[in-house]
Amino acid sequence: MKNKNSRKAQEQKVEASGLDAAQPDVIRDMASITRREMIAGVTLSGATLVGAAFIPVSAIQAAPQAAQATAVKPAAAFLPEQRRTLEAFIDRIIPRDENGPGAVESGAAEYIDRSFVEFLAAEKESFTAGLAAVDAFARTSQGAPFAELSPEKRDAVLTAIDSNQAPNLRAFFNRARRLTLEGMFCDPYWGGNKNFAGWDLIRYPGVRLNVTAEDQKMSKPVAAVHRSAYSASGEGENHGH
Amino acid sequence: MATNLKPVDVAVIGLGAAGGVAVLPLARAGLKVAALEAGSWMKPGDFRPDEVHNNIRRMVTTGRKGWNEIPTFRTGPDQRARRFTIPPMMNAVGGTSIHWDGNSWRFHPWDFKVRSETIRRYGASAIPEGSTVEDWPLSYDDLEPFYDTIEYEVGVSGKAGNLQGQIDPAGNVFEGPRKREYPMPPLRGSEFIDMLMTGARKVNMHPHRGPAAINSRPYGGRSACVYHGFCDTGGCHVSAKNSTMVTTIPAALKTENLTIFERSQATRIVSDNNGKVTGVQYIRDGQEYFQPAKAVLLGSYTYENVRLLLLSKSKAFPNGLANNHGQVGKNYIGHWASRETAALFPNDLNIWYGALAQNVVVNDWADDSFDHTGLGFIGGASLTVNHEVHPIASANAPTFAKAPQWGSKYKAYLKENAGRWVGCYAQCNTLPYENTYLDLDPEVKDPLGDPVCRITSGKKINEPRASLYASNKAAEWLRAAGAIEVAVNAGPAEGPNLSVHGVGGTRMGKDPAASVVDPWGFCHEAPNLGIVSGSVMCTHGARNPTETIQALAWRTADHLVKSWKSIAG
Repeated sequence: MKNKNSRKAQEQKVEASGLDAAQPDVIRDMASITRREMIAGVTLSGATLVGAAFIPVSAIQAAPQAAQATAVKPAAAFLPEQRRTLEAFIDRIIPRDENGPGAVESGAAEYIDRSFVEFLAAEKESFTAGLAAVDAFARTSQGAPFAELSPEKRDAVLTAIDSNQAPNLRAFFNRARRLTLEGMFCDPYWGGNKNFAGWDLIRYPGVRLNVTAEDQKMSKPVAAVHRSAYSASGEGENHGH
Repeated sequence: MATNLKPVDVAVIGLGAAGGVAVLPLARAGLKVAALEAGSWMKPGDFRPDEVHNNIRRMVTTGRKGWNEIPTFRTGPDQRARRFTIPPMMNAVGGTSIHWDGNSWRFHPWDFKVRSETIRRYGASAIPEGSTVEDWPLSYDDLEPFYDTIEYEVGVSGKAGNLQGQIDPAGNVFEGPRKREYPMPPLRGSEFIDMLMTGARKVNMHPHRGPAAINSRPYGGRSACVYHGFCDTGGCHVSAKNSTMVTTIPAALKTENLTIFERSQATRIVSDNNGKVTGVQYIRDGQEYFQPAKAVLLGSYTYENVRLLLLSKSKAFPNGLANNHGQVGKNYIGHWASRETAALFPNDLNIWYGALAQNVVVNDWADDSFDHTGLGFIGGASLTVNHEVHPIASANAPTFAKAPQWGSKYKAYLKENAGRWVGCYAQCNTLPYENTYLDLDPEVKDPLGDPVCRITSGKKINEPRASLYASNKAAEWLRAAGAIEVAVNAGPAEGPNLSVHGVGGTRMGKDPAASVVDPWGFCHEAPNLGIVSGSVMCTHGARNPTETIQALAWRTADHLVKSWKSIAG
């Protein structure tokens, strides 16, 4: 590969300059890849980081690059009762209904829980405080913790938040909604979009490494490829379709 | 104690879009070059077709300099600045040219003389209040040969609209004259692109395919684009997209005159009592080094350049390097660019695949290509509609008041429409203002204890007006193309905060009291220090800045070669 030769030349140069030789690949891969999650509503819209959100600066984590084709190690950031509230909440953002599985069946809670283990660790405190505030609001307005309410009463809580009758929960609602969408429509590698339910819902035809002119036609549906970017085999791994 | 290294001819700070280009003419001329890059080498196999990896978690990077130096932002001098959560740039050999979207434009001839042309056509009162805009000290024609060099060195796909004065409606009829056709034809078309071209022509606009630094056919020993749809903020797994990692840097290494120091973060540029720079102090794996050099080229991002100059104090420069006239950080420009127009179509668009640079552009409402009399603004915006929409981004769809933001009705709306909407990207001509500048944050520091860059960006009137005007034209275009719903946002009030098109801050000019670098890119006050970066720009054009940054970088490096004795002797 072109880079290999360049790097070799470069290592020789470094040696000649009196420094230690440039590190081989293994060191390079261990060298920290820093990752931090961006926060709700912050999207890179062309030239500007729109809707600038700010979080306290702390906990910039280093981790090896997730380059392996193996699944992410399941882990949990939330306590069982927090997880229960989270699931009940995101179940109302994208519910199971006649249009198919909802956010919970699709693994969005799993995605969110795993995200807070590492990438969103700096934000965990404010998010779990939001979950607690949802429960507190559910108790005062509907008489029980959120997860113990009927679907109708849960919707009444979300309606109240969405119409700004619980103004301190607005930011939490936006954040939880955004993370639910990430969990619903992400590559299944990250724990969400189970059985490609999210991608099938919106007719996203899946990851193709080589896209033909035919695959880009508007007039003709493209067949869905059910395949994670991280699946070991190169081709069409189908899950239940 | 810093380890002193063997002197070299030129030390280059940063191997991204600009530094990665500048090393090539230097190395080809036989100068011994040491390049300091905070990141390390990546390879095509490191890249992933994954929205979470690329766009959500911004994992296409090596090293932590970008994260450690995230700037702060405020809208006025009385405010305490707050910090952003994600950095605008990545770190690696090749820098952010690895994950950029490949939109490779020349600026318009008007961009280089906004001040004099505006006064000539509309009178001095048409210059927006509070703007510090000056003409560039060079013209489009001066830069044309370097645009040409870049387009052929890195490989740009496109269609000329003005070939030595001959206008071709298949290309951009508003562009400045070019010497040659692009080295490759535009990227592949699609039914979606045809639909947009037809719509624009219906309302008498002049649509054309945007230029892309992506191979539409094999070029430069690299393969053609495979349109997989993970170009934006992701690296190219087949090296069809130009990054300096696969074009100019390997070419420079072949000369054996370039030495690359990975994981090497410049901490100070050192100068002597006569105001001459003597080399660069940097940290690599926790060790401090000093790299002596006869000339230094500063090639990192706008925020980093300003910060490093302000941190590099000495007897000759008590207020920061090349800052005895207080110009470092002034005339900073955050590019006024966003997706303000959204449109819903009655059918699936199938624009998941492709690239952001696989697009249609309308330039009728940019620059001074239309009469501004009575409009209350100068400049305008280019309008781009493109392929490459990822699933999570598509689910963040505007609902055009047809559905709530959650619940079964929202889910049904997404099912029907997530694949049926587009946003039109409006990029404005953007000017420098007195109320918009960079300095060092008094509170927030990086892990080395050095302050981060602080952005102050006050209210503007001209750019929001221009953006809204052009976005309403975009609405007209999208309706003509068949949209059933169109929404136009008024856009932000204070405008760009943290920008990936941040330019200015070390402006180019003839007057040392109003600029930092001379017309060739070398500091007035420290003549053997050149700056290769968007930070030398005097205005921002209505298009992506990278090709202009690269053309300027090549020109500055070329000037250093030709004037070696006078600059470095």
